[in-house]
Amino acid sequence: MATRLKPVDVVTIGVGLTGSLAALELVETGLKVVGLERGAGRDTVPDFQSPAIHDELRFSIRKANMQDNAKVAVTFRNNANQTALPIRRWESFLPGQGLGGAFVHWNGQSFRAQVADFIYKTHIEQRYGKKFLDACGPELTIQDWDVTYDELEPHYDRFECLLGVSGKAGNIKGQIRPGGNPFEAPRSREYPNPPMKEPYFGAIFRKGAESLGYHPYPQPSANLSRPYTNPLGLQLQACVFCGFCERYACEHYAKASPQTTILPVLLKNPNYELRTNCEVLRINLDNTRTKATGVTYVDAAGQEYEQPAELVLITAFPLNNVRTLLLSGIGKPYDPTTGEGVVGRNYTYQTTGGPTVFMDESININPFMASGANGTMIDDFGGDNFDHANLGFIGGQYVGAIMTNGRPIEFHPTPPGIPKWGLEWKRAVARHYNHTILIQQHGTSVASRLNYLDLDPTYKDAWGQPLLRMTFDFPDNDIRMSQYIADKVVEIGRAMGGKIIERGGTKRPYTTTVYQSTHNAGGAIMGTDPTTSVINRYLQCWDVPNVFSLGASAFPQNITYNYSVTIGALTYWALDSIKNKYLKSPGPLVHA
Amino acid sequence: METLKSLMANKTWCRFFAAVAAVLAPLGLLTLVQAQSQARQPDAKHGAVIAAQGTPAGAPPCAQCHAFNGASDSSGAFPRIAGQSALYLAGQLRDFAAGVRMSAIMSPIAKALSPDNVADVAAYYAGVEAPFLPLKAPDAALVKRGEALAKVGDAAKRIQACDNCHGPGGAGEPPAIPYLAGQYSQYIVFTLQMWQRDFRTNSPDAMAVIAKKLDAQDMAAVAAYYQQVRSPLAAAEAQRKD
Amino acid sequence: MIKTISAAVLTAGLPLESAKTDEHAAIAATTPSIGAAAPPTTYLFFNPEEAAFIEAAVARLIPADDQWPGALEAAVPNYMDKQLAGAWGAGQRLYRSGPWQQGTPSQGYQLPFTPAELFHTALAAINKELAQASTPFAKMSADQQDAYLRSLEAGGKNLGGVPSDEFFAALWAFTVEGFFSDPVYGGNRDMVGWRMIGFPGAYASYYDLVDQHGIKIDRPPMSLAEDAHGHMHADPGIPAYLPPPKQ
Repeated sequence: MATRLKPVDVVTIGVGLTGSLAALELVETGLKVVGLERGAGRDTVPDFQSPAIHDELRFSIRKANMQDNAKVAVTFRNNANQTALPIRRWESFLPGQGLGGAFVHWNGQSFRAQVADFIYKTHIEQRYGKKFLDACGPELTIQDWDVTYDELEPHYDRFECLLGVSGKAGNIKGQIRPGGNPFEAPRSREYPNPPMKEPYFGAIFRKGAESLGYHPYPQPSANLSRPYTNPLGLQLQACVFCGFCERYACEHYAKASPQTTILPVLLKNPNYELRTNCEVLRINLDNTRTKATGVTYVDAAGQEYEQPAELVLITAFPLNNVRTLLLSGIGKPYDPTTGEGVVGRNYTYQTTGGPTVFMDESININPFMASGANGTMIDDFGGDNFDHANLGFIGGQYVGAIMTNGRPIEFHPTPPGIPKWGLEWKRAVARHYNHTILIQQHGTSVASRLNYLDLDPTYKDAWGQPLLRMTFDFPDNDIRMSQYIADKVVEIGRAMGGKIIERGGTKRPYTTTVYQSTHNAGGAIMGTDPTTSVINRYLQCWDVPNVFSLGASAFPQNITYNYSVTIGALTYWALDSIKNKYLKSPGPLVHA
Repeated sequence: METLKSLMANKTWCRFFAAVAAVLAPLGLLTLVQAQSQARQPDAKHGAVIAAQGTPAGAPPCAQCHAFNGASDSSGAFPRIAGQSALYLAGQLRDFAAGVRMSAIMSPIAKALSPDNVADVAAYYAGVEAPFLPLKAPDAALVKRGEALAKVGDAAKRIQACDNCHGPGGAGEPPAIPYLAGQYSQYIVFTLQMWQRDFRTNSPDAMAVIAKKLDAQDMAAVAAYYQQVRSPLAAAEAQRKD
Repeated sequence: MIKTISAAVLTAGLPLESAKTDEHAAIAATTPSIGAAAPPTTYLFFNPEEAAFIEAAVARLIPADDQWPGALEAAVPNYMDKQLAGAWGAGQRLYRSGPWQQGTPSQGYQLPFTPAELFHTALAAINKELAQASTPFAKMSADQQDAYLRSLEAGGKNLGGVPSDEFFAALWAFTVEGFFSDPVYGGNRDMVGWRMIGFPGAYASYYDLVDQHGIKIDRPPMSLAEDAHGHMHADPGIPAYLPPPKQ
């Protein structure tokens, strides 16, 4: 029997990036906010200190900072003709857990989206004609977002300043600036901090890319290039390139995370209450099914509670956001056979995979000296930055030498043709470990009516609730896109002086057994039309106006770039509408 | 020493490593130098001469303040430099000469040293062993607090553990980050104060930020702790010798 | 215990010749434990038959040569033994509910076995099969052992419910972990795996070096347990929050 608690104004389901950002905005208006986090509390001192944090087996291989598959997993199949089976151990994507969520162990790669990304369907149709999109794939279901880059720009700026993003602007108010990305969307001003130091692999890539006429620029980084005090008065330190960034927490206060940029202020606010080790089972609705009354959750001791609230924010990471909506009965679940319904629709991922460039023995790359976002890259093949007219696909990838580590269990490259084990393998590892450059291709994931999320009919979590079921394979469009770019990137590898180049490019079928990206997106997308979206342009649920779903689940399709900064901007945008519109007059903010 | 003999018998080694090997051998495992044969190798023997006699250009002997074995004296006014990373020592001398780091004593000395002198003297001191001089017993409570800062940090002040960068037990992370283990407490406090007040500026992205968060008690605590720490690697080595 | 010095002669900025053979010989000569026989292991998990197979198998998967020791000398069997005897072997972080069915390669591991069960089951089947043959695995020649491992790798054999290719993949991944993980976990003895590739280990702070392109970093690696006291986690007696100074 659930214990009913005293009502509060706001509950956030999850206390990661979106949960902590949203809570801070609202407690400052005087609202009482409760943050429910599935995982444990943790902080830089003492939990993230080295040497204990620099444990590759524990954090990279055994995934200590991730959700515990023993308690809750996801089931997966490539298509609806298969039976979905549990992902019994994470590999392809790594949902985080614990206070701060995945924003503790991310790599700090901090991009904005492109102007065209927010009006993607309109843009493609205008540039290439309506037939072009059909030819790329009749199953594609790309959509516009119903928010524009210009509307988000001030929120991008604000979020970048919160983090202290370190980079070089390429476009300030339409003026192209040398040293930055000439293709980037126009910024109102320079980055808050200068770019990171360029490691050797970046310098070699830069030379190679320039020689072919491309436009290399430093990757924007939320692992800071110098000490910085953010607008909340929190000081971050400079990154030391320790090579333990993704999957690890930062010991130096140098990586932007909730712990370093928000929580010290949020946790001191008397209007905020953090409850850790609390598993939210569902959002409760009233009899009309159009108003949330609060949430039901189970604490670490197995006690069930009902927490009434006026406003519920789903801030749990895209996959968990969608699952929460489905378990709560909010919105019509998507049915791929009829094409009707919206929750789970337009699930997308990220199309990744670049070449490995094996260099001469005299070139010491020292991959262990690296940060999470110290790449040198080009955007010449990103998004719609190049003419697709005769190419037969939409979308693109950024390309760069973006090495983040030399951790040996994960990184021990050998050229093609070398046996997979044995003496020759061992000698090849010794020969190539310190003389190899990885080039990343990282890009768009178009939405398809065949790729979606729903609830699994068979497998359950430790609380007895159905697991989320993922049906996904790379659309042919994205395969063609990445293979086209892979050919171009091989040329860059040659220009870099690579002795052996193992070509990149994505292949089907998508497998959950190899790490690619944790940029799962979609499933609870925003849009203009409630028959093709779950939330409106303010991230408010069409069906239940006092529930907002914050995060990349809102993306109608996935963009070229790592999406954390876009999520931050979108969160500020949504909170702005909550503070200035919703709270003054609760109810639907958009009438469709 | 046994190790040196086996190395010196290997002709290939002699080709690459002669003079430096002779000085570095007593410490066992060598770090290895790879260089084109025409680039000048640092000459630790010549570095020893400079340490003892100074240079004709007017640099005084290093040994006057730092002792010939790099242990300095127990006043703590001059840092212990025995076994300090050569790259680090050379970098400090360059910074003194260039005015990036300023000291009324070291700046003119560093300016009088040529780049070759700097490399030689750094190689020499990097290769010496020196005993730890007997010092007054530290305050136990202060040492305990210093150990906490060294190994864990301080959540309230948002300071990370010193050992993150300065290595296990403050043994250093060569070649760039110096050891603190066994360094004189007065010198550690003095240096932290120099960073705190922006007088020392050659690690502004790290040490100035941290030093400004430390109060006098914190500085005394880490200094007391590190002065009495013996590098665990050296401790194990000493055990092995017995 | 490996001796170390903190000296490093400045070589940054100079084009570097390779002297790998000399370097390896020098390290081998000056590091007493490298090249020595496999260390004795107290097995908690493997029975003697299983241990014999594992020791012989890892010696083929990552063999020793005149340059560097292999997985056996690096105590990889010990690493595996302690992992399988502990939480991970028992199925930590593994979604363990059924029903079970064979999936596509994209769907990953779908067997009901924990790692401990997987190894016990597969090794029992292997040892049973080889007991019926003329030579147990450990007594085969190196070539025969390689051939047998390749036959496991190729799949097609059912090892008591474990497809042989799945067992081989698990064994290989485990061997790589044991060779390259921090020595506190019982493998990578004397950090030979790290020395072989030049990975400096768990203490990692490179702000001043990352832009010295091409610099040779050859300090000895440092493990999580470099503290001579052997403690990896913060001593609970040391508070995270320092008490305010007494006035």
